[in-house]
Amino acid sequence: MDYQLVLESLMKMSKILININELSEIEKYRKIGISNFLFAVKDYSIGYEAFDLKDIPDDVYVYLNRVMDTDAIDSLKKRIDEFKRFKGIIFEDVGVFNIFKSTGIPLIWNQVHFAVNYNSINFHLKNGSASAVISNEITETEIDEIINNSVKPLILPVLAKNNIMYSRRTLLTNFNKYNGLDEKKEAILNEKITNNKFLAKETEYGTFIFNNEYFNYTKLIPKYEDKVLYFLVLNLDLSVEEINNILNGKKFGNDGFLNKKTVFKLEDYK
Amino acid sequence: MENIELLAPAGSLEKIKYAFMYGADAVYFGYKDYSLRANAKNLSREEIKEAVLYAHNLGKKVYVTVNIVFHNEDFKGLIDYLKYLSEVHVDAIITSDVAVMNIINEEKIDLCIHVSTQASILNYEAAKFYKNLGATRVVLAREASRKDIKRIKDETGLEIECFIHGAMCTSISGRCVLSNYCTNRDSNRGGCAQICRWTFDYEDNGKLITDKPFSMTPKDLNMVPFIKDMMDVGVNSFKIEGRMRSIYYVSTVILIYRRLIDKILNNTLTEEYQRYALNILNRVANRESTPQFFDKLPGVEEQYYLGRDEVSNQDFLGLVIDYKDGIATIEERNYFKIGDNVQFFGSETETKNYKIEEIFDEFDNQINEANHPQMIVKLHVPFELKKYDMMRLKVFDI
Repeated sequence: MDYQLVLESLMKMSKILININELSEIEKYRKIGISNFLFAVKDYSIGYEAFDLKDIPDDVYVYLNRVMDTDAIDSLKKRIDEFKRFKGIIFEDVGVFNIFKSTGIPLIWNQVHFAVNYNSINFHLKNGSASAVISNEITETEIDEIINNSVKPLILPVLAKNNIMYSRRTLLTNFNKYNGLDEKKEAILNEKITNNKFLAKETEYGTFIFNNEYFNYTKLIPKYEDKVLYFLVLNLDLSVEEINNILNGKKFGNDGFLNKKTVFKLEDYK
Repeated sequence: MENIELLAPAGSLEKIKYAFMYGADAVYFGYKDYSLRANAKNLSREEIKEAVLYAHNLGKKVYVTVNIVFHNEDFKGLIDYLKYLSEVHVDAIITSDVAVMNIINEEKIDLCIHVSTQASILNYEAAKFYKNLGATRVVLAREASRKDIKRIKDETGLEIECFIHGAMCTSISGRCVLSNYCTNRDSNRGGCAQICRWTFDYEDNGKLITDKPFSMTPKDLNMVPFIKDMMDVGVNSFKIEGRMRSIYYVSTVILIYRRLIDKILNNTLTEEYQRYALNILNRVANRESTPQFFDKLPGVEEQYYLGRDEVSNQDFLGLVIDYKDGIATIEERNYFKIGDNVQFFGSETETKNYKIEEIFDEFDNQINEANHPQMIVKLHVPFELKKYDMMRLKVFDI
């Protein structure tokens, strides 16, 4: 690989923000040039491998993606100081923003499915959020429009199994109990009419359902490299090597909604 | 007890009139754009104006849903529309998008902001966030517990609106795009295809775990046993779901809750009435209903396991269109015949049992049955009825 290519690859990797499933991954990621890490936090996150606060290294981002109830927000308020060593908090619930807004910790708005227009994103950016994570159910044209009109650099997810449902119910436990099946906290739900498979993961805080296939927007990296804060990778089950290969062009996953505009009025449905 | 409001869904002017007639204090509905029931009838701008005038003449309120999750293209015309809603004096809009709230503030549009349940508010800090944006009311997530509601009320002083009856999403509202994936219809812009009511193969490592289809369909919400408790923890507005439901469904549900709330406020609520209310409400819907998150986390009993289990209801037999000199003129809705035991009910008519002994057609010819939808028939009814009272099959005693 010539010097220019190495440099481009390192630049790209320096813009990747990736979640960690095992602490041992960190060194492996560093070796391929990735140095921005995201940790889901036990009791305040759902769907991803979560860590006790004490086990999370300094200078990383933390992912608080639960819709917080009273107990969760009360508990979080008592632990504000424990978060001050982190690079930033990616939050789902605006209650989290409210309790951290005066701490100086960079806060990143990630209300899944809601960051689909630049007016709402800019509102959050002008009112204290350091950045926002763009939602995944929009077209490339819409992504363009949002990135080009946002008042601060945003985070664009480029590789993930998209979260498509978050239920407070323990859906797998309920079904297993009703049918006398063994306890199971993870399963595939296969919808055969439309040929969609979904990955359901359950914890005490509810059931998080993902599309079972990764979307892969890595082809957008060159286009937005100078415009975004990070490219987000939310990894559930890929090895560091596989991630590296995909980021370097290996064909993988699908195009999600990049070229598929959703409709909502029956007269628009063709 | 702070102002208590019974809030009803209304997908048309006709439903608005029935909602108020049967005891609602306020109604909510949407316009053809910007509203989450994109494929409902919805109201035109002129009809919104008419609805507000009609409501305000009765001393009642009108809230308009502006509750889609906006994409950039959806903002077209929004400022003019919000100004129009202000000009015709709607009492509030219901929205979850901060951009809409921001527009109202920046453009100084005189509109009250109620934060939609789509915002998934379960804690007082989130409620404070929206209070800072000018919201006067929060519609809490259906997942809110007694404790969540009380803390939000105590810490914010905001008006609290909670759903008390009707369909539930499996997901936390707004946190689902199953429909987008399976049908390309955007659930957060009103296109939800209700995929959570479908069934799925249940698999692990490419193999079926069981032959039984996986289902995650929730039963409907029914808060009859907890209305008093909800009042005690500070709920102001008791909201019924169902902008696309029939006038019979909406009228029946509103009337049951109207009387329930009044009995609680008058200290005359009895266990008998609660039992009766539950019977009627379970009968009028096509799904079973149950309390869900208020007192515990829903478990096995709060959902279905066999996919759609919905039974069509043909209890609504006729609408009273006139009553004079002991003769009720009825517009038929479902088949009935001589010998049937029925009940009449209405907003000002106590529910009364009646056995059909004779039926006359509109030309006063005696007939044995009413078997054509909307046919006009007459019955001798010895007690007074009012126009828009309803006749249903008698299933439960009063």
